[in-house]
Amino acid sequence: MNMKSKAGILIMLMLSFSLSGCLGDRVTEAIESEDPCSAEIQVRNSDGTLKILTYDIAGFSDELIAQFVNQTGTEVEFIRTDDAGGILDQMMLTKAAPQADLMIGLDNTYLPTAIQNCLLIENNVSDESFTQTSLEFYRGPLAVPFDEGDVCLNYDEDALAADNMSVPTSLWNLTEPEWNGKITFPSPMTSSPGRAFLAATVDYFGHSPGNQSGDMAAWWTAIAQNGAIFTSGWSESYVTYYTGGYGEYMEGYIGGAYLTVSYCHSPGVEAYHADNYTHSTSLVLPRASFHQVEYTGIIKGAAEVDAANQFIEFITSMEVNENMPDYNSMYSVLSGTDLPETNGYRFHADQAIVSNAITQEMIEQNMDSWLTTWQNAVQMG
Amino acid sequence: MSVFGRTEKSVRILAVVFFTLGSTLPFAYALLRLEYVTGWSSFQALQEFSSVYGGMEALRFTLLEAIASALLTVLIGLPVAWCLSRYRWKRIRTLRALIAVPFVTPSIVAAMGFLSLIGQNGWLVKIGIDLRLETGLIGSFAEISGWNHPGHFLALIIAHAWFNLSLMIRFVEPTLSSLDPAWEEQLSMLPNGKTRIARIKYLWIPIIGPAVLCAAALSFLFSFTSFALVKWLTPTNFTLEALMAEAGSSAGIVNYRIESSELIYSVALVQFLILLLTLWLTSVLQKKYSRRLSLVSEKNARTHHGAPTKAAQITVFAGVLFTLLPFISVILSSFQVRKISGGSVERIWTLEGWRNAWSGDLSTMGVGEAMSNSIIYALCTLLIALPLGWILASTVFKLEQTGWTKSSKLLDLACMLPLAVSALMVGLGVLLGGLRWYPEMFGWFLLPVYPHVLLTVPFVVRIMLPAYHSLDPSFAEQCQMLNLSPLRSWYHGKLMFLRGPAVVAGSLTLAFSLGEFGASWLLVRSGTWDTLSIVVDQLMSRPNFDPTIHTTAMAAATMLMLLTFTLFVLAERFRAHDDRSGF
Repeated sequence: MNMKSKAGILIMLMLSFSLSGCLGDRVTEAIESEDPCSAEIQVRNSDGTLKILTYDIAGFSDELIAQFVNQTGTEVEFIRTDDAGGILDQMMLTKAAPQADLMIGLDNTYLPTAIQNCLLIENNVSDESFTQTSLEFYRGPLAVPFDEGDVCLNYDEDALAADNMSVPTSLWNLTEPEWNGKITFPSPMTSSPGRAFLAATVDYFGHSPGNQSGDMAAWWTAIAQNGAIFTSGWSESYVTYYTGGYGEYMEGYIGGAYLTVSYCHSPGVEAYHADNYTHSTSLVLPRASFHQVEYTGIIKGAAEVDAANQFIEFITSMEVNENMPDYNSMYSVLSGTDLPETNGYRFHADQAIVSNAITQEMIEQNMDSWLTTWQNAVQMG
Repeated sequence: MSVFGRTEKSVRILAVVFFTLGSTLPFAYALLRLEYVTGWSSFQALQEFSSVYGGMEALRFTLLEAIASALLTVLIGLPVAWCLSRYRWKRIRTLRALIAVPFVTPSIVAAMGFLSLIGQNGWLVKIGIDLRLETGLIGSFAEISGWNHPGHFLALIIAHAWFNLSLMIRFVEPTLSSLDPAWEEQLSMLPNGKTRIARIKYLWIPIIGPAVLCAAALSFLFSFTSFALVKWLTPTNFTLEALMAEAGSSAGIVNYRIESSELIYSVALVQFLILLLTLWLTSVLQKKYSRRLSLVSEKNARTHHGAPTKAAQITVFAGVLFTLLPFISVILSSFQVRKISGGSVERIWTLEGWRNAWSGDLSTMGVGEAMSNSIIYALCTLLIALPLGWILASTVFKLEQTGWTKSSKLLDLACMLPLAVSALMVGLGVLLGGLRWYPEMFGWFLLPVYPHVLLTVPFVVRIMLPAYHSLDPSFAEQCQMLNLSPLRSWYHGKLMFLRGPAVVAGSLTLAFSLGEFGASWLLVRSGTWDTLSIVVDQLMSRPNFDPTIHTTAMAAATMLMLLTFTLFVLAERFRAHDDRSGF
């Protein structure tokens, strides 16, 4: 290589790294601060548009948003991530220079981290009309529930009957040889129902009557040793592997798993869309479920605070929120609402036996260590 | 130096600096950030690769599937390219366009097409090949060999071969079709060319070998960075790219999920080094390949061999059928919806998916609006990527011509850099860099054009560079003799001959931009400017309890395919007979 070529490369590299290295501004300091609440936050520049950070929530159709725009005159723009975890990651990554005014979709396994990191500010929406269950985990000014449901195990009744298998009465039953290779779980590292079920196992193995023997880590190791299939998200488990869900009619179906993690009311959703037919049902074991609540909240540094409050009021209004079972396949958080009776939606939806022993403080303090424990346990399997 | 010369030089320098910084800065920035978050140096990150959770397993799988995919691409593509190049075909432009469309098809659409082919109601199952549930023949093979999911692996490499088939055609066909038929005849008279094997050894391998290797190297590269096809077709395996995508969104945050940052840092560096090596190899092979082209015109070579034989017809039509099957499958799915009654399922024909797709009832917007957004993004990308790639290609050529061989090689390799850098790393770099310097840029609707430009410029360069190589210098000399102005000399001596390749490059740029799925690049999908490919992904990502969601997604995917195919057919009309570009 001649001298000119070398000089050219050197100049290019120096330019690249000097530009990328001109660090040390206010934004970076805030991102990297040890105390996440002490850093100065840059308020997003107002452009008259309400920016909402969310995942692809089914209910927010063009029509629904147009209704809000007509009512308030405020334009709405969505910033989408793949799931609830993506929302938190995005908020953490952009916390010093927020890109959105409102988040919709953090559930109660992620909300404590958001609160701990001071990512939300107070809203002024009244919680008077909300159900008791939606307010049990968190009742405060930083987040408002917009839908709820119980995460629990679902199993394929027909498959169990065909293989002459008995319905489990304990989580330990799932570690027996007859369940070998017949269970699929979404990973708690990357899936919010997976995380919720991990919290449920903490509760199950941490308290009686669930705690029959052993601990959560031992159970997960035994499950992994019993050929459980772990997937990155709910869809991969439920659609690709689970034999009891709608996945069996989809192109990517593989099947083989008679049991998975979903919601206690998922069989109801199945029936609702299949002319009152489903062969999936939920496994309601004491403390083996987790009551998941999904929240909305105003992001610290929001520009359109008033519009954000209006949007929270809009999606928690009776007119919109009572349709959550249809929009987002979840329960409404408003008192006096229920799942529709149509096509057996309500009939096939089971009620979980939850303990509410997993509190906001426990998740705030322990979720990271539970995840590490889970990862190590599964690797050992 | 004249004013024209000075301006030309300034434009070239500006283009090189703009592109090099644009493609390296986000990656460099992301690396610096990960270094800060993890406390690892780059060298340490490479050393720690073996301890990263799932890293070694993903590397083994990635290498295996990429090599197998490249081999299968050669196996399927070479006979098709051979037959296509040696005979006079009616409607050859349409045939080429059909075979080229998979290459620019959004991978999520390709995945859905293949899943409906190999799924439980798919055509392959009906002929006894069950790659998905692995029953029958495949199941027996899995049992005997002890290989976990050979059906899934086969489905993946077949899908990659489908995706990369056009590479083989575009590289091999021009070489074979422009080969002087006399060579073959003369060789068969010589003692060394009496047998078919000897002719393969002494004529065909030296002639088409570099082109085949070049296409295989690029197939390897695209299979190596595959993500959506891997996710859908081999759900129990991860490529390095898929592994990074899993952990991607939580990387780069101080004191939060550090293991994600460690994984991304380590895996991204290993992937970068492997891909850089592949690109260097491709660049060397492409240079060899363009030197070995004969001078006879394609028309004469084709005329010499005449109308295609039956075997050639079967081979080419089998290739076209292979290309079309996943598309047909997607189109059919857009008109079918599952109906469950009393526990039994039936597929009923309906236009509901198309109605939903147009009205936007199940997505944030209808396909009409999404299509106009896609076209606006594609046109913006074209306006930047085509001139930028063109200038870069001409600069590489100029450096070659003026004896700066090593610099030209270096720039040539630099032009391919965006293909070696993980999309996710660029996304992270853009996001963090943007937040640092100009947070408001995230509200700018044209932001997705940036990754589209980075992605398409390497292809513009790869198309324009061989076109420059095939320019006859005597035309430029004649222009000088006629004392034409520099601008007119350029117009008559170069532009007139580069028009065809430029149109091909332009159509490829448009098609790539249309199919590009922005989420992986920018980590988030922002704004009301959703494109058609984002609408498809949005629909595919939702729980499909409601049976009409899938049908609607397929209708949107069909629209995207039709748009892309129309562009390619239009572009083929401008392709010169002796076009030697790689695409």
